[in-house]
Amino acid sequence: MIYDCVIIGGGLAGLTCGIKCAKEGLHTVIISGGMNSLHFSSGSIDLAGYTEKGAIVKKPFEYIKDLIKSNKEHPYTKIGLSSIKKSIDFFIDELASDNIPLNNNGEYNHFRVTPLGAVKPTYLSQESVYSSKGKEIIKSKGKIAILNFKGFRDYYAEQTAANIKNHPIFQDIEITVGSISLPYYHKTEKNLHEFRSIDISRIFETEKYLPRIAEEIKRAAGDAVAISLPAFIGIKNYKSIRQKLEAMTGKFIYEIPTLPPSILGLRIDHALKDRFFSYGGEYIAGEKIVSGKINKNEVESISTLNEGRLSEIKSKYYVLATGSFFSGGLQSRLEGISETIFDLATNGTNPRNKWYSKNFFDKKSHPFLNFGVVTDKNLNAKTKEGKAIKNLLCAGAIIGGYNPIKEGCGGGVAIASAYKCAELIAKDLKK
Amino acid sequence: MNRMETDVIVIGGGATGAGTIRDLALRGVKTILIEKNDIASGATGRNHGLLHSGARYAVKDPESAQECIRENQILRKIAWHCIEDTGGLFVTLPEDDPAYHSLLLDGCKHAGIPAKEISIKKALQLEPNLNPHILSAITVPDGTIDPFRLTSANMLDAIERGAKVLTHTKVVSVIKKGTEIIGVLCRNIHGEEIEIYAKMVVNAAGVWGQEICNLAGIDLPMFPSKGSMLIIDYRINGVVINRCRPPADGDIIVPGDTVSLIGTTSKEIPYDKIDEYTIDDDEIDVLLSDGEKMIPNVRFTRALRAYCGVRPLVAVSGEKQGRNISRGIVLIDHKERDGIDGLVTISGGKLMTYRLMAEKTADLVCSKIGVKAKCKTDKIPLPGSEHKFTSRRTMKKFSGIPDSVVGSTFYRHGQRLRNILTTDKKNYRLICECEMVTEGEIEYAIKKLNVHDLVDLRRRTRIGMGPCQGELCAYRGSGLFHEYGGASPEGSVELLNDFLEERWKGIKPVLWGDGLRESEFTYWIYEGLFGMSNLKNNKKGLKQ
Amino acid sequence: MIKLENISFDHCIKCTVCTMYCPVAQATHLFPGPKQSGPDAERLRIKNPELVDSSLKYCTNCKRCEIACPSNVKIAEIIQKAKWNYVKIHWFRPRDFFMSRTDLVGSITTIVSTITNFVVNLKITRAFMHIFLKIPFTRQFPPYAKGTFKKLYEKKISKTQRPFEKRVAFFHGCYINYNNHSLGQDLIRVMNAMGYGVDIVKEKCCGVPLIANGYIEKAKKNAKFNIAHLSKTETPIVSTSSSCSYALLHEYKEFLEMDNSGYISRLDYITKFIYDEFSRGNIPKMKPLGIRAAYHSPCHLERMGGVMYTLGVLKKIPGLELVILNSECCGIAGTYGFKNENYEISQAIGSALFKLIDNANPEFVITDCETCTMQIEMNTKYKVLHPVTLIAMALKE
Ligand SMILES: Cc1cc2nc3c(=O)[nH]c(=O)nc-3n(C[C@H](O)[C@H](O)[C@H](O)COP(=O)(O)OP(=O)(O)OC[C@H]3O[C@@H](n4cnc5c(N)ncnc54)[C@H](O)[C@@H]3O)c2cc1C
Ligand SMILES: Cc1cc2nc3c(=O)[nH]c(=O)nc-3n(C[C@H](O)[C@H](O)[C@H](O)COP(=O)(O)OP(=O)(O)OC[C@H]3O[C@@H](n4cnc5c(N)ncnc54)[C@H](O)[C@@H]3O)c2cc1C
Ligand code: SF4
Ligand code: SF4
Repeated sequence: MIYDCVIIGGGLAGLTCGIKCAKEGLHTVIISGGMNSLHFSSGSIDLAGYTEKGAIVKKPFEYIKDLIKSNKEHPYTKIGLSSIKKSIDFFIDELASDNIPLNNNGEYNHFRVTPLGAVKPTYLSQESVYSSKGKEIIKSKGKIAILNFKGFRDYYAEQTAANIKNHPIFQDIEITVGSISLPYYHKTEKNLHEFRSIDISRIFETEKYLPRIAEEIKRAAGDAVAISLPAFIGIKNYKSIRQKLEAMTGKFIYEIPTLPPSILGLRIDHALKDRFFSYGGEYIAGEKIVSGKINKNEVESISTLNEGRLSEIKSKYYVLATGSFFSGGLQSRLEGISETIFDLATNGTNPRNKWYSKNFFDKKSHPFLNFGVVTDKNLNAKTKEGKAIKNLLCAGAIIGGYNPIKEGCGGGVAIASAYKCAELIAKDLKK
Repeated sequence: MNRMETDVIVIGGGATGAGTIRDLALRGVKTILIEKNDIASGATGRNHGLLHSGARYAVKDPESAQECIRENQILRKIAWHCIEDTGGLFVTLPEDDPAYHSLLLDGCKHAGIPAKEISIKKALQLEPNLNPHILSAITVPDGTIDPFRLTSANMLDAIERGAKVLTHTKVVSVIKKGTEIIGVLCRNIHGEEIEIYAKMVVNAAGVWGQEICNLAGIDLPMFPSKGSMLIIDYRINGVVINRCRPPADGDIIVPGDTVSLIGTTSKEIPYDKIDEYTIDDDEIDVLLSDGEKMIPNVRFTRALRAYCGVRPLVAVSGEKQGRNISRGIVLIDHKERDGIDGLVTISGGKLMTYRLMAEKTADLVCSKIGVKAKCKTDKIPLPGSEHKFTSRRTMKKFSGIPDSVVGSTFYRHGQRLRNILTTDKKNYRLICECEMVTEGEIEYAIKKLNVHDLVDLRRRTRIGMGPCQGELCAYRGSGLFHEYGGASPEGSVELLNDFLEERWKGIKPVLWGDGLRESEFTYWIYEGLFGMSNLKNNKKGLKQ
Repeated sequence: MIKLENISFDHCIKCTVCTMYCPVAQATHLFPGPKQSGPDAERLRIKNPELVDSSLKYCTNCKRCEIACPSNVKIAEIIQKAKWNYVKIHWFRPRDFFMSRTDLVGSITTIVSTITNFVVNLKITRAFMHIFLKIPFTRQFPPYAKGTFKKLYEKKISKTQRPFEKRVAFFHGCYINYNNHSLGQDLIRVMNAMGYGVDIVKEKCCGVPLIANGYIEKAKKNAKFNIAHLSKTETPIVSTSSSCSYALLHEYKEFLEMDNSGYISRLDYITKFIYDEFSRGNIPKMKPLGIRAAYHSPCHLERMGGVMYTLGVLKKIPGLELVILNSECCGIAGTYGFKNENYEISQAIGSALFKLIDNANPEFVITDCETCTMQIEMNTKYKVLHPVTLIAMALKE
């Protein structure tokens, strides 16, 4: 059997690409060696957050337009503005049909609040992070209560409150801190103090305890008009749970991400997988691609390794969406940086002591975050000899030449590059 | 300005200083200890924690060897909870001079160190990860000693007996009356100045002792020698492995708590560089390639961090050449040497001879201030080591709490675990999951062990010292710091920032492989998700 | 002692993803989850083997954590190894002995199957088992068949296989041998339809229940026997049990540390074998089934990467409307769900899957694993079929 498109890696990039391909009617499979980085992300999509100098970007598309002119190697330049715009619309549509509406602030970035009380620019967010109603509350200086669950070790509301008070947006807003306790819920329940966000979100998902939680919220929030909770009000039916809780408490509910796992990101992961399945895509979890055969600048096949046996998989097109070091797309050794499957060309060629900056929170961020595979203008991967591989395209964090954190563009590049790959593949195969 | 008075001032919160105030406290002498950073932040917290059997010195320095074996046996009794009886091996590699083997056996015999030749097969049974190509092996009673716990336990006991400890307080000048030193002037991190008067001042400031002497107008040149070490993610060895050759770079691997340490390099550095602590890539390469010769697994294991310490080598009578500088214990009565009264300097020696150093110092001090009481530190156990329990018995007592948690707490705090663990669920929940540090332990440290920031907390508990280097627990620790009254909420976020920066110092030199993956992840969380650097914008925004 | 092959815990970056996907940690907080029980605790156990927690016993060895882990940590394997140390001292033995000897018990009970089936379902017997053997009162046991499949094959089937030139060897496993002969017969029909004659091999229980219960020495003995006999064959070897296949392919080598290279390149879980044949164009004639069925992917098949092939094969069956259920663990995990202390947890784990099945409301459920089959049949109203049975149903006479 020969697939139309095999996508290696099931993260934000791989899934987005898979959805588009499957939707175009291509026989698509995603093979993913482990869970992706959405599990830890804010669930907001950053398109372009900061300039080269670290200033906050107000209008991301305008900024990207300028970036395309000045930076030839940036993935955004290769993708092009119109595909970027289309990809974002596509992404919004797909998630909306899985009950995860994403909001944006027109052509402007908006802000999300972090657990430490920092305020970060981003472009797309879930309703519990950005909505016109929330905007109104802040404008009208409504009182806010920042709540936590008693005994939850992965979030500290006091820190959020103390620091956002310093920010101009929240300066004249009354902010209180409170905590609510969790209803006793399970027979074999043991140490609620060791719960992770996922455990609590599962309690919400049962919906059984919502009335009691609502009472608790009302008690702890007093006369605040809006409350913030650590993000765990459900995964799959989060939208309806949030609506119910808002109705029961009469308060606007905001969410702040926690230590891993991040439920906000998880919702996106679940929704994307659902979308992919709904178009008939196949998803193989827990399989790692270990090698690939390249012949005359074309990938012939890729292989998995099970019990010491290689199994070949063949496809017309391959998309490399294996993420960066963290997910295993790239590998670093004492001797240097390499791409793990095909040993492609990377831009991480300098010596080890040039991979990092002096301070952890350095203004310059760290060079290793820029590392990735070198691609040509159509996102085709290049071999070490500098030849572009015709049927191997790259998407997401594996692409080199940008710093997702410093520029605040990780999600945007992943979605846009994935969409672009799918477009190119569909166009070619439908010819 | 604050003013205090006491019998004896001790400058330096390393093992030596801590041991000295304990010794004096047991003799009924009032003391105040002053430490510019945190306890064990100098050489004490920057070595590989070997409880020497003395064998490493047996060939060249029989006197030190004898000191070591004597102290080794005493510490096993009075400080068992800071010590692990791992045993040690001296192994000869094919490239080593085989003659050293019998030299070592002779030296040990001479010094009274029970050393025994064993077969290679036996050695491999004892230490399965050992290089199978070794030519011979000798067992010695080496062990490991945890410097943080040792220092902390000494201080805890001294404090419980009336001593005072001021950490994050620096001695900035000495108060002189004629040729007599009658006190010191200190400044703490809040910039407050404190004058302390005493009958005697003890300079236990390690390599910084030269500066203290300078303050007193005394010239005591030190020749700092830097040693770098590498921490490996887990215990690749259970027994201390030494190369059977004259001490040199990269010749020892010490298992310490949950990790192993490869030590060390040795580089003379100029005195003005003693606070820099930089580790060069070539040092890492040496440690890895030499470590690998003893235990081949080294190369495949994650390097957690690298760090270095500075040995203070004292030029007692003004020699300038490295070779003749004493490596033994140096106790100087500055009245005799320089005609200045009221000051003694204690330096040199080893971590594991701290007690002996303290004893000698206290003897001298007592003779000067007319105290007759004798040293008791060789008999009275440290807090935590009062009675010998087994971890199994302790685990039974706390059934309901996972054995791994009870066992880890017991390992760190010995009998004091009774002041830490309770069956309250919040108490025994894990904050640091790699090293199994519970909330109870953190509460205890913040309230009882003189902790000012997360870095201090790490020294008392091991929080953030495991493979994730603080990825999860740093944030939790900072939250609890506020909860237990150690910091304001904003302050606790700053502590978090400082803690991650401190961790980064040691990670940088070994940033590759899984360590790099871990760092990328941590960076995503604290910078991407949590927006640490963005906090600066909050305040900037305010100004605009 | 730490062997190089066993240091995968060193790659763990503490991302907590494994714990999130562990069905047991989800069902009970008595189990702190794969991260803490696996890579976290392993460093401590290396330091001091006494630091091993009793909660390890809750792990079902379903391997879902390994599938989720982005760092390739062999979490479940680490836990099973640590379990042994603990098991030696603490587990209740008679019941485990009885349950892990599937072949011994099977060979006795099949002789007197009618009586056995009657007796094990008597109230009094169940009360006895509950109290003395610590097997839950409500647990249903698979019915035992009359005689063994092996006997049946020797007596009736073997001669029908002679005409075929192409041959496969069939590792039938305990379930077919003692409980479900018809699946074995289905396999033979399908293989024959594809032009293969079927031989059976001398075999003992693959050892999965022995491993799960900590009888490692006995498991090694069985493995040795199986390795010897499988290595003697020269044809492809197939198994219809995802768990047996997993043991033969993976556990023997990685876990029992035995050399299975004599057959490993020839052995496949059945759907992989069929998939490869289909890909080569060897597709038997099938008639449209007109069935709507839900597919549940068993944990061990997922871990082997076999789901892709089962789905590939099922998709080739005409008239089969397939609902692919979200991947969830059924909770039985071999002998795990047969124990008192695990019963509730086992049911709680499975509840998500049962709900999914109810929502899908198919005519049949399809799965590759025999214990999943039992669990699903006990907890839902649906009949469960093996993929091979479906093909057999579709075969034109
Ligand atoms: C902690 C964290 C927080 C983030 N927060 C944000 C945010 O708030 N906003 C934002 O816009 N962006 C955020 N990002 C960035 C953004 O999520 C990533 O840039 C983007 O998800 C990259 O997606 P990807 O699909 O390229 O890679 P990944 O999500 O890393 O996925 C790669 C996948 O490939 C698999 N894989 C790797 N190698 C192989 C192989 N050989 N065979 C098979 N499979 C393989 C991996 O298992 C993994 O599932 C965050 C990232 C992280 C890590
Ligand atoms: C690389 C290396 C490896 C070693 N390995 C071992 C080993 O395995 N086993 C062993 O037994 N020994 C070992 N040692 C030796 C051992 O570390 C030291 O001998 C011992 O720790 C010295 O302790 P100390 O208290 O005298 O000095 P330090 O620990 O250095 O204490 C001096 C303290 O004084 C403080 N201070 C300085 N100036 C001021 C001031 N102005 N005001 C207030 N406070 C001040 C400093 O902050 C510091 O905390 C090793 C040393 C090195 C460098
Ligand atoms: S094997 Fe299954 S039960 Fe065991 S830890 Fe992993 S996911 Fe949990
Ligand atoms: S999923 Fe893997 S890397 Fe993450 S915590 Fe679990 S074992 Fe560690």
